[in-house]
Amino acid sequence: MRIARFASGICALALVLSSGAGIVVRAEAAPSASAAELKDAASKAPSTATLAAGDPGGALTGTISDVPVGDSKAGLTLGDVANQVGQNKIGINFTWTLVCGFLVMFMQAGFAMVEAGLCRVKNANHTYMMNFFVYGCGLFAYWIIGFAIQMGGAAGNGNLGGLQPLASEHTVSLFGHTWGLFGQSGMFLTGHSYDVGVMVIFLFQMVFMDTALTIVTGACAERWKFLTFAVSSVLMGAFTYPLFANWAWGGGWLSQLGTNLGLGKGYCDFAGSGVVHAVGGITALAVALIIGPRIGKFNRDGSSNVILGHDMSAVLIGCFILAFGWFGFNPGSTLGASAAGNLRIGSIAVNTMLAGCTGTFGALLYMWSLRGKPDASMSGNGLLAGLVAITAPSGFVSPISSAIIGFIAGVLVCLSVSFVENRLKVDDPVGAISVHGTCGIWGVISVGLFADGTSNYGGSWNGVTGSVTGLFYGDASQLVAQLVGVTTLIGFVFSFSFALNWVLDIFIGQRVSAETEIAGLDLPEMGQLGYPEFVFVPEPSHLVATPQVAVA
Amino acid sequence: MAATTSQGKTFTTFVASLTVSAAGLAFVATGIGKVALVLGIIGLAAALWGFLKIKPAEGKVPVNKQPAVLKLAALALALGGWLIVIVGLNLSASVGGRMTTTVIGLVITLSGVIGLMPIAASKNAIWKA
Repeated sequence: MRIARFASGICALALVLSSGAGIVVRAEAAPSASAAELKDAASKAPSTATLAAGDPGGALTGTISDVPVGDSKAGLTLGDVANQVGQNKIGINFTWTLVCGFLVMFMQAGFAMVEAGLCRVKNANHTYMMNFFVYGCGLFAYWIIGFAIQMGGAAGNGNLGGLQPLASEHTVSLFGHTWGLFGQSGMFLTGHSYDVGVMVIFLFQMVFMDTALTIVTGACAERWKFLTFAVSSVLMGAFTYPLFANWAWGGGWLSQLGTNLGLGKGYCDFAGSGVVHAVGGITALAVALIIGPRIGKFNRDGSSNVILGHDMSAVLIGCFILAFGWFGFNPGSTLGASAAGNLRIGSIAVNTMLAGCTGTFGALLYMWSLRGKPDASMSGNGLLAGLVAITAPSGFVSPISSAIIGFIAGVLVCLSVSFVENRLKVDDPVGAISVHGTCGIWGVISVGLFADGTSNYGGSWNGVTGSVTGLFYGDASQLVAQLVGVTTLIGFVFSFSFALNWVLDIFIGQRVSAETEIAGLDLPEMGQLGYPEFVFVPEPSHLVATPQVAVA
Repeated sequence: MAATTSQGKTFTTFVASLTVSAAGLAFVATGIGKVALVLGIIGLAAALWGFLKIKPAEGKVPVNKQPAVLKLAALALALGGWLIVIVGLNLSASVGGRMTTTVIGLVITLSGVIGLMPIAASKNAIWKA
């Protein structure tokens, strides 16, 4: 009886155990469908023996075998594949941004040729050297402090992995809102900013900054003391440019006009008509006003004399180098070629080409029709004017709008050159103030007019949902934001640059002596002629007469 | 006289001091950062003094002194117009109101930069003599 009861208890226990009630039994999980598919695909990848035979068609190279496996015991998983997709997106964007940055860097050569070509042969070495050394001055200043001021608070860019180390923006509370003023992270690219994404954005932003700096050398050529040029350029790269660039691109207050005050998408400047070109052109105006005109430029009655450049071939080839580099300037400003609307890079490149083309037509037709000749230097400046003007709107407008913007810029640059020289009595040997200042401002304004709302860079711009749209497509508030930016450029940037360079004039002196200027800057300043074997043609007397009144 | 060894040495002092100052600023939370910042600023002052010292030896420049008061007035107009724009954005919430104050501020700024400043810069221009 006892044995029977014991046996029935055992049977009951066995029954409970077999039903799984009350006891958790760990069993082997069935493999998911995706894991099975991955395993199957991996097994079909070309073997080492197959690859050893060579792959002339490329069909066998780049397969599932090339996806890194996180856990060799587990084999290839969906997580591994997803990680590789993320790496690919960032890798494509890194490569695109860097290569475009390399193109923009090459524009330094274009600027050098344009400026030197428009100057006299006795100043060739000095003009080339200013464009050469400005690269070093700017890069140095930007590395030690400028980049931190501009981009120190720019974290959040999904195209380049987030840029999370750049998360320190100094802000101020005003009128019930928080406004960014300058960044505080990234000096010397040390600490947290020693980051792969930060390196990419540093290179790209640095070459833009240097474009702004080199613009000033053109307006002040043939009389700017090399020492003062160097100090001025360092300070511009350290403070002037980065401050405005932070306000527009680094999370600063201009970009926040949309989120804080509902003004469109805030100040919008896709690739830098304002940030780069207008800052450069307006600073050029400030320094040119301090430095004064070249000897012999103006007569006693206020009329001006033409001072011819020495090499038109350098000017026009330089313009083409600049146009080539602009394919990095504008399309590269997407900071990516994958996801977030970045496939618009083709449209941006075409917009850039068209504006340059119609800018050339605008200037050439103006000069030919009204002055009788298709002037080469103004035609080159017309190309540049169109390119400068399209820089801000290039990511937001249609090809037709681009053509219109460029054509207007081409005519505008001719009018502006005449106005600056004959009305303002400012001597600008290369037209930098008009090409970059005037047409840069036109570019900023044209965003507020022509942006058509078809772009879609991740669904928002400057933190405001939607696409950038201008007045002609229904949003007048965007134009207001652009005009705020224009006033900041003319009011603040000019004043800041003028004050800075006024101080330098007091301490160092901006201008070379009259004796040096008449002899040519190459020998006194650089110690060597630009073309030592040339025989110089004597200049007209009004260009070499020592002024009656010259002061120390 | 144009470029000289004095210029080179003073510029070197300027660049080195700026680097030390920036390094000091980057690590200002540490003791050595504070020391670097102070040393850098002293170096910058020394460079400025050096520039001032060599300036008279560089010859007469073909530029007359222009009236500082006029230049300051032009800068005041430029900055004043900009400030009108900033304040005006917060006086009105309508697009039309903000456009009006912005345009007014822009005109004032332009009157300073391309109106008064060129006059100030060429009042005693050497080409007028």
